[in-house]
Amino acid sequence: MNTVFALATVVVKELYRRKDFYVLFILTALVTVLMGSVSFFHDAKIARYLKEICLLLVWVSALVIAIGASARQIPSERENRTIFPLLAKPVTRWQVVLGKFTGCWLACGLALLMFYVFFGVISGSRTGHWPLAQYLQVLWLHWVMLGVVVAMVLCGSVIFAAPSSNATICFIVVTGILLLGRHLNQVALREPEPLSSVLYAIYFLIPHLEWYDVRDFVIFDHALIGWGSCALATLYAAAYTGLLLFAAWLVFRRKPLNL
Amino acid sequence: MQTIIETKNLRVEYKPQASREPRKVAVKDLNLKVCAGEVFGFLGPNGAGKTTTMNVLLGFVHATAGAAYLFDVDVREPISRQRIGYLPELTYYYKFLTAEELLRFYAKIFKVPRDQVDRRIDQLMKLVELDHARKRPIKTYSKGMQQRVGLAQALINNPDLLILDEPTSGLDPLGRMKVREIIQRLKNEGKTVFFSSHELGEVETVCDRVAIISQGELKVAGRVSDLMKQYQANLEMIFLKIIGYQPALAMEAA
Amino acid sequence: MSRTTTQVLVLVLLLSGTFGLATLLQPRAEAWNRRGDSGSVINVLLGDSRRLFANQAFTEADVYFHSGYYPSIFDQTEAPTNSHHMTAQEGSAEEEAHEKQMNFLSKPRDWVERFGRHFEITQHTHLESGNEREILPWLELSAELDPQRIDTYTVASFWLRNRLGKVAEAEAFLREGMRNNPKSYEILFELGRLYNENYQDHNRARHVWELALRRWQESEPQAKNPDLIGQEAILIQLARLEEKGGNLGQAITYLEMAARTSPSPAVLRQQIAELKLKLAGSVTNLSKVPSAD
Repeated sequence: MNTVFALATVVVKELYRRKDFYVLFILTALVTVLMGSVSFFHDAKIARYLKEICLLLVWVSALVIAIGASARQIPSERENRTIFPLLAKPVTRWQVVLGKFTGCWLACGLALLMFYVFFGVISGSRTGHWPLAQYLQVLWLHWVMLGVVVAMVLCGSVIFAAPSSNATICFIVVTGILLLGRHLNQVALREPEPLSSVLYAIYFLIPHLEWYDVRDFVIFDHALIGWGSCALATLYAAAYTGLLLFAAWLVFRRKPLNL
Repeated sequence: MQTIIETKNLRVEYKPQASREPRKVAVKDLNLKVCAGEVFGFLGPNGAGKTTTMNVLLGFVHATAGAAYLFDVDVREPISRQRIGYLPELTYYYKFLTAEELLRFYAKIFKVPRDQVDRRIDQLMKLVELDHARKRPIKTYSKGMQQRVGLAQALINNPDLLILDEPTSGLDPLGRMKVREIIQRLKNEGKTVFFSSHELGEVETVCDRVAIISQGELKVAGRVSDLMKQYQANLEMIFLKIIGYQPALAMEAA
Repeated sequence: MSRTTTQVLVLVLLLSGTFGLATLLQPRAEAWNRRGDSGSVINVLLGDSRRLFANQAFTEADVYFHSGYYPSIFDQTEAPTNSHHMTAQEGSAEEEAHEKQMNFLSKPRDWVERFGRHFEITQHTHLESGNEREILPWLELSAELDPQRIDTYTVASFWLRNRLGKVAEAEAFLREGMRNNPKSYEILFELGRLYNENYQDHNRARHVWELALRRWQESEPQAKNPDLIGQEAILIQLARLEEKGGNLGQAITYLEMAARTSPSPAVLRQQIAELKLKLAGSVTNLSKVPSAD
């Protein structure tokens, strides 16, 4: 675990020394503040549209950070040849995969924390109340979902040749799941065989990332989601994360690395 | 004497680009032994299989057949690399880290005790003369400075075996001298050094034993002094003869 | 030819070419400038395609009205096709039809869907207690994107004046709607209701409703499916106003006009009968009053 955390620390350092996160955060803050300055019918208490815009920007930014960071980890190690002095140490390829995942996921967590603190400040300044338990729940589910995304992208990074193609494909897959995952079974039922079976199989195989998008609960001030359901969703995400990381390791361990 | 590096009928084949072509044999049944405390030169022309052999020893590539051992541990086990230091020919390290952060990172991987880390980093920074630049990111370093960082990271775990790939490549005469001094010092401490180089003059000076490999096969191995006595020529001439470069010998004879 | 001469000739050729191109493109550039003069950022950026987004903004207002509980395009039951439920009274036929329409969540088909319901909003609610303000940004955006969408102005005005106490803002928004849609009887009708219910300015309300009726008569009779319900609503309001003011005869006239085209005239006919009785009673009372002679 020492090695894994050492690798993770390097990944986190890389991410906060790059400009991506700061640019995205400033962009999110700027757009949110601009939208917040607009007055609708001289009513200063309107808050939900602002919460929705802010959370949408947070989600987009978090996905860009997660996918962008994860897609270049292993390919850039190979391209920059930093993988050689690393693997010449007593480090296994499994530790490399796990270390990269841990680093990216922790970095996403830190970024999310900053984004959600900002969101809380904006939201609280309008509504006058801070449902901390709800914010924590939304943050936790979002972070857990990003774990699956990071694992998916890391797996893709050992399969696809270029980080850009991996990032694009993963972005499309993740967006597709978020928008359509919930409805795939309905679509499947309306199609003839064998397409119906294929769609239904995909429906059961894909990680249902849309479960973790609970922004509406915060925007519309609904009650908390049951903690039992959250725990089960966390286990589900952990299972998919483990599966994807294992698949990444299976591919990576067989790849020859020539000096 | 303990065998530090050993290969037994090591064979490495690569898949060809086109399916109809035969597999390329990079290393053919290599049997090599390096004993403790030796400075061992691994020589050969470009494409001879030196780098492939090193790749196998370092675990970057799996052997097609045969076996390789470091400290009697199969190279496929990560623990075989616990006591080695490796300096690649082309020095690429995490550009966003400072030299100190890089050394700290590698020290953590080697599980160097915390109380020793700071002391060792200070020693190494002074040894490679990078004390003044230890807090700067590596992306601001010159090539020579990066090479010196590479040397420092190869020594962070106080290795018993140092594997150097073209250690003096790209260095000025002063830098080359410093590398030779470090190799000599390590030898005096009883460490083993295994390196490949094209600078045969240097190899002749520092190495105890050499092996010459060509087209994947080991052509000759032995003590430098014994080889020079046997062939009645300097190492460069011996090398050229071994790899089959005839005109040189004809000129020499003339 | 020397090198310098060649270079100069090439330069002259290029300059002539660019001037010629500029002359050709000048009319198009002016057309673009006109769009840029419109003053609205959305108009400049999107042009006429902004109307496509207006529907989405209006739907978003409806989603906000239902606090996130809304059918997707994949759900069997179609999403509400009109906005009447947003201004409907509780217990009305429109409200009951809407309740039925919003019952789109069927029994979960599999464990994935069953578990996923924990992370979805599954309760059908409407905004109340001042929270109706949350739909306003989307209505304003919808109006900005498609100023010719009448619904936007009438729905926004309803909530502004009825629940949020922003009568002045409602009036201003309706007037903006009028400027963009001078022939709209719906906006005039809503404006009349504002004067009648909020400002208690019955005279003004009457004038506005009469204008609304004229606008309806100018455009709707020629339409394929004239909006008879809209006409009925204007006539009934006018009838009520006249009845309140004691002009029972005029009230009866309006109700008879409404009854001629109403889908359910029975109720109106009963009201007409009652008014006629009332009118007859008042005439009798007048005749019993001794003359001043």
